[in-house]
Amino acid sequence: MKHAFLDRYSHLESPVHRLDPRAKLVGFATLVVVCVTTPPRLYAAFVAYLGLEAALIVLSRLPWKHVLKRLLVVLPFIMVVAAFIPFFSKGGGSYNLGPVRISGHGLLILWNVAAKSTVSVLAVIILSSTTPFSDLLGAMEKMRVPRLFTSLLSFTYRYIFVLVDEAQRMRRARDSRGWSGKWLWQAKVVGHMIAALFLRSYERGERVYAAMLARGYGGGGVRTFYAYELGILEAGFAALVALFPLAARLLS
Amino acid sequence: MHIPDGFLNAGVSVATGAAAAGVVGYGLYRAREELDEKSVPLLALGAAFIFAAQMLNFPVAGGTSGHFLGGMLAAVLLGPWLGGLVLTLVLLVQCLGFADGGLTALGANVFNMAVIGTVATYFLFRGLKAVLPRRRPYFLAAAGLGAWLSVVLASGACAVELALSGTSPLSVALPAMLGIHAVIGVGEAVITALVLSVVLAVRPDLVRTYDLPGPSAVPVDSEVSR
Repeated sequence: MKHAFLDRYSHLESPVHRLDPRAKLVGFATLVVVCVTTPPRLYAAFVAYLGLEAALIVLSRLPWKHVLKRLLVVLPFIMVVAAFIPFFSKGGGSYNLGPVRISGHGLLILWNVAAKSTVSVLAVIILSSTTPFSDLLGAMEKMRVPRLFTSLLSFTYRYIFVLVDEAQRMRRARDSRGWSGKWLWQAKVVGHMIAALFLRSYERGERVYAAMLARGYGGGGVRTFYAYELGILEAGFAALVALFPLAARLLS
Repeated sequence: MHIPDGFLNAGVSVATGAAAAGVVGYGLYRAREELDEKSVPLLALGAAFIFAAQMLNFPVAGGTSGHFLGGMLAAVLLGPWLGGLVLTLVLLVQCLGFADGGLTALGANVFNMAVIGTVATYFLFRGLKAVLPRRRPYFLAAAGLGAWLSVVLASGACAVELALSGTSPLSVALPAMLGIHAVIGVGEAVITALVLSVVLAVRPDLVRTYDLPGPSAVPVDSEVSR
């Protein structure tokens, strides 16, 4: 089955993969916050953020194709904002593009949104592609996120692949019977599919839970081996990813 | 409707984040009260179900399609607080595991889809249910209308947040978002009502907010659903 999940490359061998996820979580979260609050006219700062991320992608040996493909998720949003640009009329001089007049102010908004969302999505892609999801949750747990929350997340993540497979099987079965919905009143079929998906997954969940009990599950979430320790490398990494963007922003 | 990073300004991010954290925190508190150990895997299963259901596109017009949001369905199946918690889990996994929706926009996304699209519209649904006759078709109609409202209100909140952040002009973005989602919401309404009617027929015990008297469901062997 095909899944678009990000931690597909999280088991590669690289210096970035070996770091304690806590350092990556703190570093990348800081990078995103610094980037999002950067005034859009500091162009050099955005170049620095992207440069840092490019270096990290090379260092972590992630396939560029994977990174760029995942980057496409922000494109629809940028295009929606681009569609609204002609409606911003005030300020900043204007440019004529055929019948459409675009103001400098509108272009600045588009640049602001495109640059910030690209840098931030890249940060999340690097974080999730170099860290198995269970280790990310382990790091959150070590950082005192409530255990109820992390165990809910870890079960959710485990079940998602099972249920997505189930949904894809149902969709394939439907399509192979020649269904091609074009109009809203044909949505009934999808309603029945979702109902069947719910009933199947609930009853499956009951069986899985019984099986878990039979194997000695005693509550308190899934325990995984957290094989990381904070060291000098982690401190250096967090400092680099958090402080380099901050310096770039203050200097530009 | 998953807002990425960089589309919202600091004020909107912080305000929606605080509101979302408050409601989800209360949801977690209620979850602790209501749930036993068994419910943790089952609640997570609910989240995974909503995630998978969101992948099934439904047709809208001439080959374009919308996808299911599931907030109202989760609220009717699990109650508003657990439903909101489930939607939050879905959004968190989408943000961290799939880079869908930004880290700093997480608060806004949770606010739109879990707080407005699930918890708040549940109470609108309950209001509707109170004034309608206490019969199953009206229950389903109220849930359908609630589902429509949940999609439309969540998209409206999204447009208002983007406008407050100066990313898109309110006078254009709000009617556009509301117009598109008023149509998509019809699909959401039809599917929510259909799913509930099937579940009520097969496993009425799984619809936690169904409180109508009268003949219980037609006994259907639950093997059928496997």
